[in-house]
Amino acid sequence: MDASELQPILQFLQQRVPFDSLNAGALSRCCHGLTIGYYSKASSFVPLDPANPQLYIVRSGAFEVRDRNGELLDRLGEGDYFGFPSLLSGEEASNRVAILEDGLVYHLPPVIFDFLRQESREFDRFFNRAFAKRLRHQGRFKAKELTTTSRVSTLMSKSPQTIDMKASVAQASRLMRTSRVSSVLVIDNNKLVGILTDRDLRNRVLAENHDGSLPVHQAMTTTPVSIESNSLVFEAMLLMSEHNIHHLPVVDNGVTTGVVTSTDILRGQSSQPLLLIGEIERQKDLQSLIQVSKQIPLLLQNLISADARAEEIGRVLTSVTDALTRRLIVLNQQILGEAPMAFCWLAFGSQGRQDQAACSDQDNGLLLAHEPDEAAEGYFDALSHAVCKGLDECGYIYCPGDIMAQNPKWRMSLDKWKQVFERWVNTPEPMALMHASIFFDMRSVYGPQTLFDGLQDAVLSNTKDNDIFLAGLTGNSLTSSPPLGFFRKFVLERDGSEVKGIDLKHKGNALITDIARVYALSAGIKEVNTAKRIRALMDQSIINRKDALNLADAHEFIAHMRLSNQGYQYTQSLPVTNYLMPQNLSSLVRHQLRDAFKVVHDGQVGLKLKMMRSY
Amino acid sequence: MENLRNLYLKTRLQFNALLSQDTVISGYHRALVTQISKPLSQLPLMAVDLEMTGLNSQFDQILSIGLIPIRNGLLQVSHSKHLLVSIDGSVGDSAVIHGIVDNQLTQAVSPKLAMAWFLEQTQGHVLVAHHAPLDLCFLKAEIQRCYGQTIQFVAIDTMAVEKRRLLMQIDVIKEGSLRLDACRQRYGLPVYAAHNAAIDALACGELLLAQIAAIAGNDELSLFDLLN
Repeated sequence: MDASELQPILQFLQQRVPFDSLNAGALSRCCHGLTIGYYSKASSFVPLDPANPQLYIVRSGAFEVRDRNGELLDRLGEGDYFGFPSLLSGEEASNRVAILEDGLVYHLPPVIFDFLRQESREFDRFFNRAFAKRLRHQGRFKAKELTTTSRVSTLMSKSPQTIDMKASVAQASRLMRTSRVSSVLVIDNNKLVGILTDRDLRNRVLAENHDGSLPVHQAMTTTPVSIESNSLVFEAMLLMSEHNIHHLPVVDNGVTTGVVTSTDILRGQSSQPLLLIGEIERQKDLQSLIQVSKQIPLLLQNLISADARAEEIGRVLTSVTDALTRRLIVLNQQILGEAPMAFCWLAFGSQGRQDQAACSDQDNGLLLAHEPDEAAEGYFDALSHAVCKGLDECGYIYCPGDIMAQNPKWRMSLDKWKQVFERWVNTPEPMALMHASIFFDMRSVYGPQTLFDGLQDAVLSNTKDNDIFLAGLTGNSLTSSPPLGFFRKFVLERDGSEVKGIDLKHKGNALITDIARVYALSAGIKEVNTAKRIRALMDQSIINRKDALNLADAHEFIAHMRLSNQGYQYTQSLPVTNYLMPQNLSSLVRHQLRDAFKVVHDGQVGLKLKMMRSY
Repeated sequence: MENLRNLYLKTRLQFNALLSQDTVISGYHRALVTQISKPLSQLPLMAVDLEMTGLNSQFDQILSIGLIPIRNGLLQVSHSKHLLVSIDGSVGDSAVIHGIVDNQLTQAVSPKLAMAWFLEQTQGHVLVAHHAPLDLCFLKAEIQRCYGQTIQFVAIDTMAVEKRRLLMQIDVIKEGSLRLDACRQRYGLPVYAAHNAAIDALACGELLLAQIAAIAGNDELSLFDLLN
């Protein structure tokens, strides 16, 4: 019989991911290979025959997948699948499928399942991904060039020339000549202690009348600025231009793994963000800064259309904000004069986490080295008002909650800040917990690092293992949940009669950010970027590897959806929002998005179990 | 009681086999005898649907036959079959109902070949049909014409099963509520848009599985629980 005679089955499968990726021949073969079963609630469980694994496709009814301990893994309705783990792994099914509502189920035998996996990469990938319960959105969502070329690891020289600190500069020079490099890393007891460059030989040896016997450690640059190999090339460029250097040692977990030079970078990089930052640093007044900042939306568009990872976009945009903030501080200090004491410009919230996107508002504050007198108070008042106003005019609107350095409330000495944080941590009232979600994502964008470290160390020592505070924070973060209803249907936000869609930010990324923050504070982790926090939590085994990767993937995926949706809104001249209409999605993306929200949900459950045990 | 019905049916089939002059027909009856005492879950079933030019088995003709076997409680889509049968004259107005038009019948086989095929496919199977008497009537008449023999089928009528189930709950059955689609809806089965004999056979087979699940739950049914 020909395929048209099984039209209803064919049509059903055709509309399902990943069957929609199959060609007509494969789909027809698939239809004809099915058997159909009907399962009644009265029999409680679908009998899974270990000798005869199948792909089960739910045609009607409702089912639940539970693991051997009875833990709910998944809830299935029309168009969902089960049974594939045994097909893929060849292992006996350990999960049980409970029947919630009588239902019709199509069974696909292994021979045809394997045939379809060979026939369509998308089909294969779908089930592998589902199997791993992971959202590694390769393929469609893989960032193009930017990811592969923009890591330091792709550009750096991987076996850096090293020399012992007691060697002579002559030895170092000969090493540099024979290996044709312009720098050597100086090592003491396997640890990086300095870097010696051509320029050092010229300026610190020859120009100072030393001879070749001078020990390397007297000519080198000590404790050089370094970078991690998985950092963005762009970040390396920033560091180099900030410190006016051409060589960056690459250090991973305390081990020197390479060197990256400005020439390495020039060779392989077109760098629009850097050009923009360079331009920012060249501007001499506010008016021209405002002009330059008009390019920021365009930069975002370019990054979105280049399919950059959302995490990278966040970091790039935040770097631009940081540069703008720094430039405004410098320009205003040229007018107001030197500051009366050391201070740090603190960035909170999304700027703190380096995940800014379009239309960010300001969240900032000022950390002063000590209690200001009246004159100092006046100086910082003028400075912070000028900088906040500048940021506003550059497109970073004033914070609606007034969390800004120009508000005297958020301009404090180190001791005062410590007290404020201590109060929040020890009396976790609703207001304190609300503040916590903004203030605990804190980074210094200007000022001495040691001053900032003093505050951060104090804060973390307060939060670490502080059960009551962490439970409060957890409870606060659980007041909102991902937009998934029964049977994993999307729950849309409504505003009066108008359907606004799925709130990707507040029901997605913000929840993951919350989860990562609670864990990070509980473990005293200094990172504030969500992806980095999750990585650190995984490295310290606070979250298991699988969950951590899931969470990081879900974060990236939802953020990516939000950005590409905003890109779409922008090109359509629609208001740019965080709301996504699910009907605009392909069924594959819909499926992935549901999985991502499921991960968020699981993450919340996990957090609750860990942090609220005694409540 | 059940053993008695079983015995009675077996005897009749055996008697029919004895009377059959034709080896195909007697073989058909004998094959059924060995099957019908098996528990329902192990009994080979075959869902059947016919398309006809009209409703009168004396004048109207079979246009197509759809079959799908049920083994171990599972519908075997890979063994689903569809056969077009050639007719005398034109399909006429009936095309409106079944959608088969004259020129499609060029691939059709003669009624004689069709019946030979049908007997071969369904030998040893209990038939399943929605409103079975109608389909069986056409098949019997055609086989009578082709073989000159009377055949006895064993068939489950999903409409009769449904009627019994409905009458346990309500007094009066509303018109139309025993149609295949209406019955399927009651079990939450999907709506199948395009209809032909193959799809209707499939739809009928699915309905039977749903009915069995609803009647028996976990218990094992026998064939006689479903026969009138």
